[in-house]
Amino acid sequence: MAISGGVIMTDELIRKWDISRRRVIESMGGAAALGAMGALPAFAQAGGPWSQVPKSKVDRLNFVVWTYGDIYTRISKQFETDWGVKVDATISSFNDHPAKLTTMYAAGEKIDVSQSSPFSFPNFIEQGLVEPIDGLPGAADYVADFSGFTKQVAQFKGKTMGLPYFSAIWVWNYYADMLEKLKIDKPFSTYDEFIEHCVKAKKDGVSRYPVLWVAGVGLEQLPGTWYSITCNRGGTFFDKQGNHMLGPGSIARDVLKWWANTFEKGLDIADPESLKVQFTTSAKAFGAGKNLYRGPNHHYGLNVVNDPAQSPIAGKVKVHGWPGEGKTIGVTHVYFMTTANRDKEWAWKLLQALGGKTKDGEYTQAISLAKDAMLGSGYQSVMKSDAVKKGWAPWGDVDAILAMWDKASYIGETCSSVYQPWHFPWTDQLNIEVQKCLTGQITADVCCDNLIKGIAEAKKKV
Amino acid sequence: MAIIAADKPATRRRLSREVSGGVFAALMNVPTGLILALVLVYPVLYAGYLSVHRVGLGQLRSGVFPFIGLDNYARLFDDHLFWVALKNTFIFTGITVGAEIVLAVAIALLINQTSLWTSRATRLLILLPYAVPPIANGLIWSFMYSFQFGFLNRILFSLGWIDAPVNWAGNPDTALFAVTVPYVWRTLPFAILLVHAALQGIPRELYEASAVDGATAWDRFRHVTLPLLRPIIAVILILRTSFSFAVFEEILAITQGGPGDATWVAAWYSYKISFAPPNNFGMGSASAYVLALLIGLLAIGYVRLVYRRVTL
Repeated sequence: MAISGGVIMTDELIRKWDISRRRVIESMGGAAALGAMGALPAFAQAGGPWSQVPKSKVDRLNFVVWTYGDIYTRISKQFETDWGVKVDATISSFNDHPAKLTTMYAAGEKIDVSQSSPFSFPNFIEQGLVEPIDGLPGAADYVADFSGFTKQVAQFKGKTMGLPYFSAIWVWNYYADMLEKLKIDKPFSTYDEFIEHCVKAKKDGVSRYPVLWVAGVGLEQLPGTWYSITCNRGGTFFDKQGNHMLGPGSIARDVLKWWANTFEKGLDIADPESLKVQFTTSAKAFGAGKNLYRGPNHHYGLNVVNDPAQSPIAGKVKVHGWPGEGKTIGVTHVYFMTTANRDKEWAWKLLQALGGKTKDGEYTQAISLAKDAMLGSGYQSVMKSDAVKKGWAPWGDVDAILAMWDKASYIGETCSSVYQPWHFPWTDQLNIEVQKCLTGQITADVCCDNLIKGIAEAKKKV
Repeated sequence: MAIIAADKPATRRRLSREVSGGVFAALMNVPTGLILALVLVYPVLYAGYLSVHRVGLGQLRSGVFPFIGLDNYARLFDDHLFWVALKNTFIFTGITVGAEIVLAVAIALLINQTSLWTSRATRLLILLPYAVPPIANGLIWSFMYSFQFGFLNRILFSLGWIDAPVNWAGNPDTALFAVTVPYVWRTLPFAILLVHAALQGIPRELYEASAVDGATAWDRFRHVTLPLLRPIIAVILILRTSFSFAVFEEILAITQGGPGDATWVAAWYSYKISFAPPNNFGMGSASAYVLALLIGLLAIGYVRLVYRRVTL
């Protein structure tokens, strides 16, 4: 027997009250869901496979990831709240992550979930590190919602190997005040115009180094700049049969010649820091307000350079698209379940918390990454949602970025060696040779010839 | 009681017969030997084993390594980048070790002057860089070298020594030298400490006697100090050479091997081969082995050429 509001409740009363309470809650939930439809269409679906408790039991789980703010602390806490299982996190820097993961794997440690850039992923798969997720509860629903980039990264030789972490496309940035000071109406629409603007900025004494390239050593900085301009001009690095497209007269070679000419031994309009900066540091350096153009690089650099806490020119940096047809490149980074997991059912649950839906049926992390960090999602539904439209708005012109997104193709279409195990050592050489070229030690022709020879060398290192 | 007392000397005699001084010493060294074997010999031998096998991630996980003989070494010697890395390593080591020896002797002589009160303060301050973690040291200098915003360019500019910023770490002509400075800055205190300790062990009478003979300060340094410092210089040469050969943190923090291959060094090469996909640990072990062999040969050379037994 229970007492409520002075009424003695019999078992019968309790049963009726329970039913009516459930109805009220259900109807409220329904109303809330309807209300949220505009903001988050069809995200939250109660009772899906993501909310089912695995039959097996585990004491704890773990993931090995690269650092990004405090998102992993939040995810661990949420997972423990939702499922009552503690999650240990091993977090390193982006550049150190492959070494950390592979060392732990080689040492025989348990790793439930990890993440990968699209460049390392084929290697991890080939080396037996990645557990396919086909056939797991709800996996097919995720695949149906994958964006084009995600499919090209997460699906390998017909198997689904992971869920998306985030997606990004390559765009340009410009410093609007400086452009205005130069009395230039709008940013460049051709590559010749780009050079004209930079030369004018230098000549007028408005900027000593008008362009800050994102050309530090890495997988996405220096190579990404070359890939993206080549893609925009209609070129590729390899054809569909895997033959290189770096020979004399190739678009990639011409792009490199044009690019190298912006450095010290040519027009001298490129900031020498270009060869050191990574994506975030380049955005921070651009925030000093000394350059006219920055890029091409990830669209989300805007959330650094237009953040008043990080940039003195916040709000004055605009996003800019590409010349010609506007073609650009994009990537998706992924989370995956490792073959060294403790328990497949629980590892799948954790993988979903990171790269899929949480217990409430929402793409919780994808949505918060869009809102907090301007990251794109590997799911079509999230990309079409208000999470992106409203979430990105504080930092840039969302419609403009989404229009560029429509013209982006996966980086692997421009440089298909990303699917090959020798891509990494070849990229090491690419970083070396292209930096030599940009610093005037070798010509673009010698650089491309060396890279052609380097393909065979890289294959030997596998 | 009497029987027991009578037995005691006999037992002692038996023990002393059974355990001679040499054997006892050897026994006492067993624990150290075992620990060294575990933490030093085993990994070295294991790396050697890996260097003649195909070792990727899958093989490490399964523990099954296909034997491939000297293939890893053949591929290593066939790789142009390995030779570039080796050349850069020799240049880096030559500069850093040479600079450290000269600076360590000079600074140690200075702080050995007890008459100067500043020497006491310097003795303490000189240790500070040694307390800085290598990676932090690299990052600090990376900021200092920044082209447009770096502290170094700002100082040089305000002193009027440069009229335009210098791209210290981003220029292939200066990058390797730019990395040597932070390295020497961090490791110099160790060499100074050793030389300073050695200086304090030189009997004052030797200087007094040479002064009586009319020796100048330079003569005293050349004929008394320097010969007596030779053993410690040999030790510093061996230690610093082996550490410089394995430089990694400053490269990682400041240049990551760039621009181009200007600062690719041997340890960076081994790291990239082993820990970046496709994770060729076999070839990485082979390159580390070649590096260890070179350090060993240099150490032997130092001992033969520099080390002299000191007899007073």
